[in-house]
Amino acid sequence: MKPFWNLTSVFSAAVLLTATLLSAGAQSTSQSKVDDPMLKAMQAELEREKEQLVLPGMQQPYFIEYRLDDFSSFEAVANYGALTREEEGRQRVVRVTVRIGDYKVDSSTGRGDGTVQLAPQDNDAAALRYALWTATDEAYKNALRDYSTKLAALQQFQTDRMESDFSRQSPTVHIESLRKLELDRREWEKRIVEASGLYASAPEVSSFASTIQYSTANIRAMVLNRYLVNTEGTVLRYGLSGYNNAISLGSQADDGMRLARDNGSVAVTANELESWPAFRKQVIDDLKSLDDLRKAPVVDAEDYHGPVLFSGDAASDVMNRLFVGNVEADRPDLGTSARTRGAYSSSYKARVLPEFMSVVDNPLETKFQGRSLLGAYQVDDEGVPGQMVNVVTNGRLDNYLIGREPIKDFPSSNGHGRAAPGAPGHSRSGVLLFTSSHPVSPQDLNNQLLTMAREQKRDVYAVETMGGEVPRLLYLVHPDGSRQLVRGAVFDELDNRSLRSEIRAVGNDPYVNDSLAALPQTTIVPSLLFGDIGVKRATEEQQKLPYYPPPPAK
Amino acid sequence: MKKFQSVLCCTLTWVSLLSATPWLHAADPASSKPADTVLLDAMSAEMHRAMDSLGTSGAEAQKQPKPYFISYAVSDSDSFNMAAQFGAIALSRESRRRTADVQLRLGTPAEDNTHGDHRASALTTIPLPLSDDRTAIARSLWFATNRGYAKALDSYLKVQTEQQVRAKEEDGSADFSSEKPATAVLPASSPLSVDSDTWQKRLRELSGLFREYPDIFFNNVAVQATTETMYFVSSEGARIATPNQVARLVILARTRAADGMDLFRAETFEADSLAHLPDQKILMEKTRAMATNLAALRTAPVTDPYNGPAILSGRASAVFFHEVLGHRLEGQRQRGDNEGQTFTKLLGKPILPSFISVADDPTQKSLNGASLSGHYEFDDEGQPARRVDLIKDGTLETFLMSRLPIAGFSNSNGHGRAETGRMPTGRQGNLIVSSSKTVSDKELRQMLIDEAKRQGKPYGLYFEDISSGFAVTTRRSTQAFQVIPLVVYRVYVDGRPDELVRGVSIVGTPQAALTRIVATGNKQDIFNGICGAESGSIPVSAVAPAMLVSEIETQRQAQGNARPPILPPPPIKGGDKENKR
Repeated sequence: MKPFWNLTSVFSAAVLLTATLLSAGAQSTSQSKVDDPMLKAMQAELEREKEQLVLPGMQQPYFIEYRLDDFSSFEAVANYGALTREEEGRQRVVRVTVRIGDYKVDSSTGRGDGTVQLAPQDNDAAALRYALWTATDEAYKNALRDYSTKLAALQQFQTDRMESDFSRQSPTVHIESLRKLELDRREWEKRIVEASGLYASAPEVSSFASTIQYSTANIRAMVLNRYLVNTEGTVLRYGLSGYNNAISLGSQADDGMRLARDNGSVAVTANELESWPAFRKQVIDDLKSLDDLRKAPVVDAEDYHGPVLFSGDAASDVMNRLFVGNVEADRPDLGTSARTRGAYSSSYKARVLPEFMSVVDNPLETKFQGRSLLGAYQVDDEGVPGQMVNVVTNGRLDNYLIGREPIKDFPSSNGHGRAAPGAPGHSRSGVLLFTSSHPVSPQDLNNQLLTMAREQKRDVYAVETMGGEVPRLLYLVHPDGSRQLVRGAVFDELDNRSLRSEIRAVGNDPYVNDSLAALPQTTIVPSLLFGDIGVKRATEEQQKLPYYPPPPAK
Repeated sequence: MKKFQSVLCCTLTWVSLLSATPWLHAADPASSKPADTVLLDAMSAEMHRAMDSLGTSGAEAQKQPKPYFISYAVSDSDSFNMAAQFGAIALSRESRRRTADVQLRLGTPAEDNTHGDHRASALTTIPLPLSDDRTAIARSLWFATNRGYAKALDSYLKVQTEQQVRAKEEDGSADFSSEKPATAVLPASSPLSVDSDTWQKRLRELSGLFREYPDIFFNNVAVQATTETMYFVSSEGARIATPNQVARLVILARTRAADGMDLFRAETFEADSLAHLPDQKILMEKTRAMATNLAALRTAPVTDPYNGPAILSGRASAVFFHEVLGHRLEGQRQRGDNEGQTFTKLLGKPILPSFISVADDPTQKSLNGASLSGHYEFDDEGQPARRVDLIKDGTLETFLMSRLPIAGFSNSNGHGRAETGRMPTGRQGNLIVSSSKTVSDKELRQMLIDEAKRQGKPYGLYFEDISSGFAVTTRRSTQAFQVIPLVVYRVYVDGRPDELVRGVSIVGTPQAALTRIVATGNKQDIFNGICGAESGSIPVSAVAPAMLVSEIETQRQAQGNARPPILPPPPIKGGDKENKR
């Protein structure tokens, strides 16, 4: 359940968004002499450290990277129709990465090496260089220690790791305009105050206001301007942004089962957030669905194994959980021969999805069906240009998404090294798109589901929305097409095997899931019809109902 | 978490008591605004509704008992934080918060859901609307109270079960004292007013000063101001609004000696508002003096093991008393089976020389014109602040009491304090050490030299500044206090000039050091700071004169082995001459 008081501290949550670097506003230049005081200061200190930094008798770094993350944020929260929090933050940090050794074997540990230091908000070049100087000193000493530890550890293994520790890439120079946080704060505050009070003020739902236990709305805006230089000659400056309005509602059924709805919109600019009428309607719909859920029967106590139709919304959550992390190449521990970590570590060139499905990741795809995509970028956070990668072709896993730390068969980056603010880079997806060679309309998909129900002579299921791993809006679908909302279910045997073998049909209704988690990522998935998924009753303990009624609403 | 808290315990740095303190004025009552009675009324109404609605009577009462106590404490605060590093602003933030602490107790005052390790089960914290929207305030309080009741109920059942299976407790005191509820609606704090541009300039200048000291590789200059009004209602009938406000400036700098020893200095300045902090000229002088001293420490000789007489400056002895004595006089430490109970058996007995008395007096706003950070009107349990004579003429009289009773002390003495979101415990406010055997600084110094000679030592030690360490008082750990000497001089008996040394660390047990005080100075120094312990971080003061102890044992501190920075700092102006070591 979402916590009622939802404090997202600016940095700890590492919430960062993305940006589309659209033709508008973004300009690239190939000059490496950039007239930006921050970049100049970073280059000057980098130059000095590269030439001079060495402990007598020890190695000099072969690679140094400086990244300055300038993060601005705004958040307002309203509960029960009143503003409880309004905060803006600005923070700049530098992250310094120092590598000792060479590309083949270096000091990197896979834990995300480097040192972070608070950086000046003023454009004070000298103060920025001071921060870089202390961070570099610490990062270098840590790297020396890590390097000797690593060389000792490597002695224990019979065979050397074939892959290099760090891939060579050509330097990139890419300069964009800086981004500004642009949001009509007064207007959005008004909206979240009203949205969080609708449970009591809207005539269409106020009859059950007393059953609503929490009602929280918030608006968040985040802008990251990122500066990066490294000793290979890469010079970057680019901006990312993300905006999010959300509603979070909670209730309990009479038997004590906790019920929740969370909704909202995520966008690259505030203008692309949902309109007030749409937001209002969403809140009203969520409130009504909570009331429906309260009255809905609990799912059958006996296990079900059979067809389940997932909406694009629900299917995208499933893919984010079961698929995305497994195609992001994370290096395995030293001394193991695995290709990567996760479920697909030995699935290279093997079938992971049905033959009629393909998956590409294209961070250069800034728009989809007219709307900007959160996960898009031109250059990744290690300075490698973003590129389209065929991840799965006709069901077969052809490529992992990878940054600059190679794995077996993937010696170089394909532009997917990405980093949250202040955090080290890792292999991450950008805009991951699932498609089918034979997409069908939602109507056809539903017909196929009903055909299966009739053939199997029983009721089947369709899921509209997930809340984490469990279905929030799950319908029992009768062979005649009528539907009954049920609550208290969990999926069983929904795993990588079912992705490979149980997907029977795919819709032509791609759903865009923009995620504002640690990194801005987009996953686009159409509706999916599974042939055999388990649905069971959740076994979690039911909570007590409120010990006394809430105070009267307005 | 607890560990972390105790390590941070009392980052108390001091404010020097200048003979003239031009920056201090009494708070101007004309600038304050009336208390928010809409909020108080909404709290009161919802609390009564909860008391009337929660729990059942009759046969079911065993399963869902009625609460015997509920309080709502709301902190309505504005705060401002700004920090500079390396001569530039690194952080700046303003925020306004209203936070409610709901306290709910089930059972009886003799034994309730907070018994033993379950103290936190009484407390639920929730943000409240920033506006006076009664409906939203009431519903937020309902949500927290309902959650709180569930938590208290669960804990109360555990307490009952545990009591059935455990042996009789050493201290059979009740869990909650009976007190008279207070009613006092004082004016709210004056609104926070910040001249952000000016503070940016001032912090940049203070932090930038360290650029003249290439060996000081880190500095942080932070200013912080909070104005808070605390609203408190309880089912016993308390109804209180009380203002608290504080402004603080902290200057921190670090360096590292060539042998790897980490060294730091900190200066803190406190006042009731930003406008009353020292002016920039004084701050610059203090900062420069601190930087110069830190640079000197870097190359000072390392201390040798020593056992002999020493003087603690007023500032050092204030920290010492706060850490070594004050924390151990917190009532709840005499209660738990795991706590040290250092002083439990010493009540009525002399624990200090008879010329020393110690009181804690939160009612005192200022001393000789300098403000005291540990001042408050009501504690966080709604009890009026009171002066408490802890040690009279060397004899231990009582402890710092919250509403958690201990053997022999069944009532609060107005020292139940906590940060928002924590259960109050007995804490210090303004700890004031006084002496009837005082001499001038000059005489005290001569006494040190004479005592050193008498003991056949070539020098005595002068502790000018010590930092807090952590007052570890659980039985499992050693009782050694952990104050960290920062600035220590050797005072030679043969008339050589005093010599700064580094790496001094004190060994020994607290009681021993306390009983060896021979004489004190005749001026009291104030030490204002933030003190962290189980109930969170709270502002406190300690006041003490310099003291001469006949014997203190020191050793060389354990030290880091990291090298100082390899390269000199970057040049100040891009491309200009490089710094050379």
